[in-house]
Amino acid sequence: MNEKKIIELKNVAKSYDGEMILDHISLDVHEKEFVTFLGPSGCGKTTTLRIIAGFVTPDTGDVVFDGTRINDIPAYKRHVNTVFQKYALFPHLNVYENIAFALRLNKVSEEEIFERVEEMLAMVNLRGFEKRDVNLLSGGQQQRVAIARALINKPKVLLLDEPLGALDLKLRKDMQNELKNIQRKTGITFIYVTHDQEEALSMSDTVVVMADGKIQQIGTPTDIYNEPQNAFVADFIGESNIIDGIMLDDYKVRFSGHEFECLDKGFDKNERVDVVVRPEDVDVTKPGQGMLDGVVTSVTFKGVHYEIIVNINNFKWMIQSTDYVEPNQNIGIYIEPDAIHIMKRSEYSGKFGDYSSFSDELEKLSDASEEEE
Amino acid sequence: MNKKSLMQKAAAAPHMVWSVLFIIAPLIFVVYYAFTDKEGNPTLGNITELAQASYLEVFIRSVCFAFLATVICLIIAYPIAYFMSKAKPRTQKILIMLVMLPQWLNFLIRTYSWMALLEDTGIINTILGYMNIGPLHMINTSGAVILGMVYNYLPYMIIPLHSVISKIDPRVLEAASDLGCSPLRVLVRVVIPLSVSGIVSGVTMVFVPSISTFYISQKLGGGNFDLIGDTIERQFQTAYNYNLGAAMSFVLMLIIVISMAVMNRYSGEDDGGVIV
Repeated sequence: MNEKKIIELKNVAKSYDGEMILDHISLDVHEKEFVTFLGPSGCGKTTTLRIIAGFVTPDTGDVVFDGTRINDIPAYKRHVNTVFQKYALFPHLNVYENIAFALRLNKVSEEEIFERVEEMLAMVNLRGFEKRDVNLLSGGQQQRVAIARALINKPKVLLLDEPLGALDLKLRKDMQNELKNIQRKTGITFIYVTHDQEEALSMSDTVVVMADGKIQQIGTPTDIYNEPQNAFVADFIGESNIIDGIMLDDYKVRFSGHEFECLDKGFDKNERVDVVVRPEDVDVTKPGQGMLDGVVTSVTFKGVHYEIIVNINNFKWMIQSTDYVEPNQNIGIYIEPDAIHIMKRSEYSGKFGDYSSFSDELEKLSDASEEEE
Repeated sequence: MNKKSLMQKAAAAPHMVWSVLFIIAPLIFVVYYAFTDKEGNPTLGNITELAQASYLEVFIRSVCFAFLATVICLIIAYPIAYFMSKAKPRTQKILIMLVMLPQWLNFLIRTYSWMALLEDTGIINTILGYMNIGPLHMINTSGAVILGMVYNYLPYMIIPLHSVISKIDPRVLEAASDLGCSPLRVLVRVVIPLSVSGIVSGVTMVFVPSISTFYISQKLGGGNFDLIGDTIERQFQTAYNYNLGAAMSFVLMLIIVISMAVMNRYSGEDDGGVIV
């Protein structure tokens, strides 16, 4: 990242009623970067955003904007603007006046206001909506108004708090592309909060994975997916089989009673590790012809592939395959060395990555958290 | 379908009977008396009699006093309602209780209490006397009458304002400050425009009883400030001129209806998104 730092968080902590919401996090955001805070609800991502916006004051630590400490500068004097979760448009103003709001505060001439509002409306594809009542717009249209309203003052940083959470899937995909285009066109730094990992991976330059008030990993989408740092990240980003293993030597790991070749090194001899294998990287073979054998416990058709749960030595693996197998069938599996990723053990070891309780309980949990959002 | 609508009619019946007996019928009587003479012959004489200077003075004074009381109530109530809505939900409940608490006392007793406070030898002047100030003449002034109105009707301004302001989405206020509004500008540009409906109902609920009151002006004004209500009361209770009293009531009703129509016009325009 060659661009200069625009926002720095230094050892920022915040607690409410004795409960630690943010546990001393530090983070740099660079100019023109698209950064996403990704994590489950309650992980502290929205609080972090609100600290940058100025709605929440951190208990300790510094918030630095463009080289200046801004802890004590109120929200209305900061050069950042926010797109709120439920848009928070002004219900008493029409589309035009909502977008013009920030300009009207600064005694901008009527002609310039008109010009800039029209420019914004064109950017978010809402030409002709000037006189509309914002309360009668669809969710997608309200979202566009909120983006235009936040961008009209040309902020250095735009904060987006789960802006697409209330939209349906198709519209969300379109808006993702549009947001990405707007960000490229304007060159404004975007800080984006979401619990949707796919959204984070497809839009961001940098993903910040958060859980329990801490930053778990910062990296590019490919880094985060291919080289997760711990079991939480591996499980939260995509599907993962996370198995206890022992690093026998460099490039040699043992798990599920079998010795595998891998591409990782630098661990202690016989160090206990977490092994991540992505479901799409497992090949199905005839029994006895692979590295491990197991019994298929369930098969679900997912459109692109089948999702197969296999019991191997009492550990349930998830495998994604385009070939159909029968439930209760014996199969073998084969894993390429580059499909194996080794992680240091962490506080999250053993909590994730086993699909024995999959489908019922976990789906319910994730549904509940989405409703809450 | 028929059966259901019959059921609905039956359910609405008590309300219908109530309305006819206690709202429509009295109105018809008022109009009847207003436009007939003592023998029951139709006439406009009662209305034209009101054009006398002495009656006009009463009407103008009533409108002015009620208007002043309403404006003062609004100025006092708005900050109170605003800060109440910022408090924690539990505190808000207690504050609303405190606002309503004086209303548990009888209206007459509350007004008598003010007499005791304001009299030349009353409580306030006694205390001021200890400090070698005064005595200030407060009772039987126009100020005392307006004070009585403000004191009695203030809660009816606070409650609707509070209920509207507390319903404003806090995210909308955050959005305003995010876009560069100082706290004062948030108030002027967002909170006040979004509380217009509360202002309208508060103004209605203070203006209407203020313009028609008679007791407050008699007790705190010492009979020096005749209001419409006093004059109407006198026509019915002392002069036994029901026709003139009804004519006054009729004109008072017109004044109220016109004032409300003007108010509603303003609020209607605001909802349409025009910035005043």
